[in-house]
Amino acid sequence: MTWSKPKALEVK
Amino acid sequence: MTGAAVTASDRPCLPRGVRLHYDAVRETPVLLGPEIALMLDPIGKAVLDEVDGARDIAAISEDLARRYDAPRDMIEADVIEFLQGLAVRRLVDLS
Repeated sequence: MTWSKPKALEVK
Repeated sequence: MTGAAVTASDRPCLPRGVRLHYDAVRETPVLLGPEIALMLDPIGKAVLDEVDGARDIAAISEDLARRYDAPRDMIEADVIEFLQGLAVRRLVDLS
């Protein structure tokens, strides 16, 4: 796996 | 600390009531906090797996740079931005 910006998406 | 700028010498930890969880329905890792849930991408999960309350962001970034064979400075900047966003929501404590 290559590095990418970490993301967190709020669950509505 | 939530409002001040995050630096590489900050030590992140998950506050009480916040935990990592695997959501079997969505088949994705989530960060659960009081009345909030955030779906994490694999990199976000990898970052939070390194958060142990003992190591600072610089040390965490060093490990991730080795694992992903990527420039440490780039990873450190991304980790700081990521954790800053979580700290604003009180999902990460920084000391």
